[in-house]
Amino acid sequence: MADIADLKIGSSDFNPDKYVRELSQRCVGGQELQQQYQKIQSLGEDTSAQLKRNVYQNYTQFIETAKEISHLESEMYQLSHLLTEQRSLLAALASTSLLGGTNAGAATGGESSTDVTAEPEKQFQIEDEERRRKLTAALEKVEGCVDLIESPARSVIHEGDLLELDPTEGTAMQRMHAFLFNDGLLLAPWIPNRRGPARYKFQTLIELGSFAAVNVRDMGSVKTAFKLLAFPDTRLFQCTSNQSKKEWLEKFEAAKKAALAQEQPKRQESVATSETSPVRSSSVDSSSGMNPFEDNCAVSSPDIAELPEWLLELPEDLDVCIAQRHFEDAYALLQKANQFTFPTSKDPQLLDIRRKVDGRGRALIEVLMKELEVSPDKSLQGGLRAARRAVRLLNQLGRSSQACDLFLKLCSSILKAQLRRVKREGATVVYVKHLGGIFFSNMMDMASEFLRAFPNSPSCASALVVWAGSELTHLTSHLVKQVFMPQSPISTLSECVVTIRTQCDQLTSLGIDLRYQLDGLLRSPLQRALSDARDKAVEAVKLRAVEDKWRPTNLGNKDALTKFVMETGLSPNHMQKYVQGESWIVLSASTVAFTRQYLSLLEDCLRLCTTELAHTVDQVLTDVFGAQLSHVEVNLQSDKLGNPEKSFIQKNAAFLLSELLPLVTKTYQERLNNPCQTLEVLKTKFSWMKPADGDGGEPSPAPAPAKRPTPLPRTTAPRPAPTKYSTVTEYI
Amino acid sequence: MKKPNTQPALHKVIMVGSGGVGKSALTLQFMYDEFVEDYEPTKADSYRKRVVLDGEEVQIDILDTAGQEDYAAIRDNYFRSGEGFLCVFSITEDDSFQATQEFRDQILRVKNDENIPFLLVGNKSDLDEKRKVSVFESCSRAATWGVPYVETSAKTRSNVDKVFYDLMREIRSRKIEDNKPGNSRGKDKSKRKKLKCVIL
Repeated sequence: MADIADLKIGSSDFNPDKYVRELSQRCVGGQELQQQYQKIQSLGEDTSAQLKRNVYQNYTQFIETAKEISHLESEMYQLSHLLTEQRSLLAALASTSLLGGTNAGAATGGESSTDVTAEPEKQFQIEDEERRRKLTAALEKVEGCVDLIESPARSVIHEGDLLELDPTEGTAMQRMHAFLFNDGLLLAPWIPNRRGPARYKFQTLIELGSFAAVNVRDMGSVKTAFKLLAFPDTRLFQCTSNQSKKEWLEKFEAAKKAALAQEQPKRQESVATSETSPVRSSSVDSSSGMNPFEDNCAVSSPDIAELPEWLLELPEDLDVCIAQRHFEDAYALLQKANQFTFPTSKDPQLLDIRRKVDGRGRALIEVLMKELEVSPDKSLQGGLRAARRAVRLLNQLGRSSQACDLFLKLCSSILKAQLRRVKREGATVVYVKHLGGIFFSNMMDMASEFLRAFPNSPSCASALVVWAGSELTHLTSHLVKQVFMPQSPISTLSECVVTIRTQCDQLTSLGIDLRYQLDGLLRSPLQRALSDARDKAVEAVKLRAVEDKWRPTNLGNKDALTKFVMETGLSPNHMQKYVQGESWIVLSASTVAFTRQYLSLLEDCLRLCTTELAHTVDQVLTDVFGAQLSHVEVNLQSDKLGNPEKSFIQKNAAFLLSELLPLVTKTYQERLNNPCQTLEVLKTKFSWMKPADGDGGEPSPAPAPAKRPTPLPRTTAPRPAPTKYSTVTEYI
Repeated sequence: MKKPNTQPALHKVIMVGSGGVGKSALTLQFMYDEFVEDYEPTKADSYRKRVVLDGEEVQIDILDTAGQEDYAAIRDNYFRSGEGFLCVFSITEDDSFQATQEFRDQILRVKNDENIPFLLVGNKSDLDEKRKVSVFESCSRAATWGVPYVETSAKTRSNVDKVFYDLMREIRSRKIEDNKPGNSRGKDKSKRKKLKCVIL
């Protein structure tokens, strides 16, 4: 009820009015309504408690997050501090080295101002240094633009603070500091919480040729502003005053004009371009050297030319291949690299490549191993087939043992997943059959897959064997837990074990024989189960003995009689002398029951029997049979029973000793190919019980078990039957 | 955050033409309804105004460029940002009319679009007695370009609103067309308005 209410109230289309109406309709009398009211109230309390808990949980989470963030923040500060130090160090280094080199590049520096050529050389140098100093000082304040100082011809024309406005709405966006160079405009927003010398953060450098400045007529909130058209963006900047705006626009124009004026002579003079291009390229090189993300092999260019191009690109290509999961290509590249005979020279370039390639090789192996690794979030859907590729490549890379290890781990988890799917329902035998079927068929697949993947490698094969053994141990321990319980009958057990054994034998076709191990693992539980069975059987014999009336048994009808005879497995001829009329058998109920029980026990024991278990099986068979015989013996020797009864008992004893026991020993011999000694002992021990009277032919089959008894001696048997019959009928 | 849909559509118009043909005068007349007699060469001015175009409120952004020859090299950057162009010449000055070809070529090169919204505007129609460029000449040039030709007077405000509104309509329909997926460029050529010659 409460659940239904929960569901209803929790649903998205919950309508309180409707709910209350329904409730009041359904409920009869105030009592019930009161109950409902209480229910709803308790629901409400629950909900509020839950809400509180959730809030609390979120709150703690929030606190944790905040802590984490502050931690991160402090780390970032440290990092930024470190970076700033590095940067200033590098800047210092760069400026010293460049100052040394300016004399040589002085001629190109003339571009910065047009009238400089007329000036004496010395003054130019001073001016240049002044320019450089100004530039460095200016850029000191901007974070992340160290390489801008490098450009030898760059100088600051104008700088100032601007406020960037939203170009469509005219609302303030961010404070900017702008530098106008002779070749571009640098925009750098203010750093809100600045640390260190940098006040602005480099945002962009727009080339002078690719933007246009436009005066913006004052309009509403947008005053003293100008626009920057840098396709495709349009940016709006507000100056502090009309004066500063005018200045900016003038400077823009002047810079553009100067650049134009500079362009034109260059166009006419082809020599001039060749003069400037080395400057450009050298600046590019030095800046790329500063870039930590670029491979530093690009820096020392002259040596590289001798090496083939593919080799130089190899590390990058390998990276790409690995990233795109083209593992085969990566392997091929690695092979190619390995086949390439590296010159023995100590060329650092080559060593570098060699080192890198080795690193990529390791990375490839790592990725492939990852591929094979079992992790809970990885789907096992693809099965082993999906692992083939990685295994093959790892094999090729000479990592067979790792691959084999990972492969087997993968197998284990697949197997586990498969077995977990098997639900225990219905009969134990069906379950075991199913489980074993899955286990061994998977095992077959895995083993064949394994042999396919790792052919001709003894070490891997041994790993497989070990693995199979351990998996089998898992399975059997599971089975022992599931199946070998005191209450499970021995017949079920024997059927299970036989099933498992036959399934296990399938593996021999692949050269894996786990049978011995299986038997070994099952031995002690089986021993236990067998002795349990024995105890049970002996118990049953004793119980029956108490109730034994020593009368012939009526099996009800002819069919039942025939069935019993069939069950015993004795030839009808032999049984003839024990059969009376349509449905009577001249054996006591206990003997009949024992015969049935013992034959099924025999069957189970023989099915279970292995060389190691033979002793236990013998013991069981002998003990149970012995128990029955002693029961007969006790009765035979008892004084309470009269002569006719004794003769009937003797008849029973005769059946047990000359019919059942030979049959048992015969079956035993046939199935296990060796006689059962203990049963023989039993036979001799109790042979005195056989009736010595009228049936003189009886003792003759005594040695029969060994020689396979023939029906011949028993031809005389039917003769005494009528007499027996007459005596027995008296008791009925 | 501001919602973009609350902002009226913005149409970017660029005034081009030789120096002294009256681009700024037209712009100022449109913007502030005033005629400025004094001449001061423009460098580059930007204006913005909210107007109602066929019942819809839009914003017009007018970039008034410099007509002087020495700015020719840096015009590209202006032209890139334009969505529509008013190419102005003075009917009293043949050179300014001849220069329109150069502007047209430059715009087409920069925008790389034959059908960019474009109006050929003959200004100073109030000075008909000093006319040097015939209506026929102008109309035929406009026809070869496939654009409308309108004569205006910044002084009398004749056709001033018309040129701006006509251009905005073209820009608007052009934007609508561009947003339609899968329309071909060839189609809109046939759909283009019939060329007309407005002299008043």
